[in-house]
Amino acid sequence: MDLATIFLSPTLWAMTLSLGTPIALAALGGTFSERSGVVNIAMEGIMLTAAFFAVFFSSLTGNAWLGLLLAVACGLGMGLLMAWAAVHLRADQIVIGTAVNMIAAGLTAYLLHIFFGQGSPSNTPQLPVVTIPGLAQLPFVGDVIGHQNVMVYITIGLFILAHYVLFHTVFGLRLRSAGENPQATESAGLSVYRLRYLGVLIGAFLSALGGAYLSIGVLNSFTQNMTSGRGYIALAAMIFGKWTPWGAFGAAMLFGWASALGYMFQGTSVPYQLVLILPYVLTVVALVGLVGRSRPPAADGIPYVHAR
Amino acid sequence: MRGMRYWAAFGLAAGLAVGLVGCGGSSGANNTNTPTGGNTAQQASGATQTAPSGKAIKVGLVSDVAGIDDKSFNQSAAEGVRRAAKELGVQQQIVVSQRPEDYVNNLSNLAQAGYDLVIAVGFNMEDAAKQVAQQYPKTDFLIIDSSVGDISNLAAATFKAEQAGYLVGALAGLVEKDKALPNMNDQNVVGVVGGQEIPPVDDYIAGFQQGIQKTDPGAKVLVRYAGKFDDPTTGNQLGELEISQGADILFPVAGNTGNGAIQAAQSHRLYAIGVDSDQSYVAPGTVITSALKRVDVAVYDTVKAVQQGNFKGGVQTFDLTNDGVGMAPVMQGIPQKDVDQVNQLKQQIISGQIHISTTVQE
Repeated sequence: MDLATIFLSPTLWAMTLSLGTPIALAALGGTFSERSGVVNIAMEGIMLTAAFFAVFFSSLTGNAWLGLLLAVACGLGMGLLMAWAAVHLRADQIVIGTAVNMIAAGLTAYLLHIFFGQGSPSNTPQLPVVTIPGLAQLPFVGDVIGHQNVMVYITIGLFILAHYVLFHTVFGLRLRSAGENPQATESAGLSVYRLRYLGVLIGAFLSALGGAYLSIGVLNSFTQNMTSGRGYIALAAMIFGKWTPWGAFGAAMLFGWASALGYMFQGTSVPYQLVLILPYVLTVVALVGLVGRSRPPAADGIPYVHAR
Repeated sequence: MRGMRYWAAFGLAAGLAVGLVGCGGSSGANNTNTPTGGNTAQQASGATQTAPSGKAIKVGLVSDVAGIDDKSFNQSAAEGVRRAAKELGVQQQIVVSQRPEDYVNNLSNLAQAGYDLVIAVGFNMEDAAKQVAQQYPKTDFLIIDSSVGDISNLAAATFKAEQAGYLVGALAGLVEKDKALPNMNDQNVVGVVGGQEIPPVDDYIAGFQQGIQKTDPGAKVLVRYAGKFDDPTTGNQLGELEISQGADILFPVAGNTGNGAIQAAQSHRLYAIGVDSDQSYVAPGTVITSALKRVDVAVYDTVKAVQQGNFKGGVQTFDLTNDGVGMAPVMQGIPQKDVDQVNQLKQQIISGQIHISTTVQE
């Protein structure tokens, strides 16, 4: 296959969407959490937890949607633990995030072994792949976005919603104020604690969707550490996307695209390893400010103490 | 109030230590004990009383990051240890590594704790095993999938995986040429999903290519690497990609990553070939056979040798002649004549008529 064929092949772009989706969801989750002022490096752990429970409940109830719902509930539980430690107890947020990631890795491996010693059941129900009538018939575009897992469409919808909520609603303004200047937020009569809890929980909700997408969207099984670092890549996508929903989406898709391209390049003369490092190079470039400075919310990571 | 945050961090850290069951940490082998390790260890001590044979030696196994439920070589190694516990009455401990950085720690923890034999599963632990074996010269070590020959207390089990790859490749070629199974296309393409470009993976792939070449010279073999062994999502995408390019039989050689490729084949009602252990149960009706690497045999034999005082360091080769590699029983629907032909090829390999190279063709 020559280069032009690869770039023009709908497979490349369909794969980009599919590989970018879980990263995008987690990056959006991180964006909400950090916009409210809580540094969130726990996306990996929350994704992994949700990935396990999605398979667990999906196979238990025989319904992938119930599996998704209950997996999200477990992700929220993890988020609640994190919010309590970060907001109420004012613990170091990096330490909490690391703790959540390690708990998730140990817990899911342990539960996998207890409940599914032989691996998760091969008849676990899966979220459906949807064909959009009309769209799917279009040349090229149809092959790229006409026929994807339902979670891909949900993700796109969530991004539109997230952008609107964060930048065009009162709630969004308040959430952002808690991350920029919590003293001002509180003097306006708002509860910084409440806003930060909400930020972390929305973040956990989105990361959990990303994890469930991996285990019952793309696949219908859970294996140890199956998120394979996507939560950390989402962290990079969040930063590269300058803490905005569409920025995070674009960055996540760029990462997905680079992976897809790397896989497509195998077997050609292009050294695919070079393509695979592209996203990381771009993240570093973004961080040192070559493509416009990437600046976190001003009060991000600083525990807030009630003014009395 | 300021002290609260330190307490919260401390509390979470403590919770973490408790929650880390089954997780390979650096805080000692006891924390890293998997539940089955614990359970079967109890069974094993029961067996000690009844088992007539052997000294009660202690055997520790450290898995790589794919974990012992990988339906592949880690699992096979763990089975070898469990069988040894049951039949030889040895005490066992299984440690699952969470990160490559833990390999050295997990191995030295077991050596430090007085284990007689410490087993490192997988080529990626080679450096860690070499380092720890030299630090603990009185402990015996076994490394799977390696050919380190120069350390006297380190045995290296090396498998002629290219022979197993050749057999399943020959079968895939026969099935592909005759379109012997439903849903197969006319394109004569098969796909390989590799974990990393490392010798234990490439041996299989090289053998597979030559096997197909033998029985279906016109076939095209797509080869792609995921770059990791613990990522079934990527395995699935690579499988889908190869299927979109006409592959109707996939051969994943990639641990947990490969299970994603098997699922891709399953969702298209196409076919896959398992690797390392008999993976037919992963996707019945999809997995037509598996290329076997009897890691369990290597582990069991080494435990036995240690127990009897016959442990030898250096390279131990497992191949078709000692049933260290092979091909699993085939799925129903595969023509018997194909199986017969593969068996003939097997005899020719054993007798030396067929030589198999370990170089993957571009």
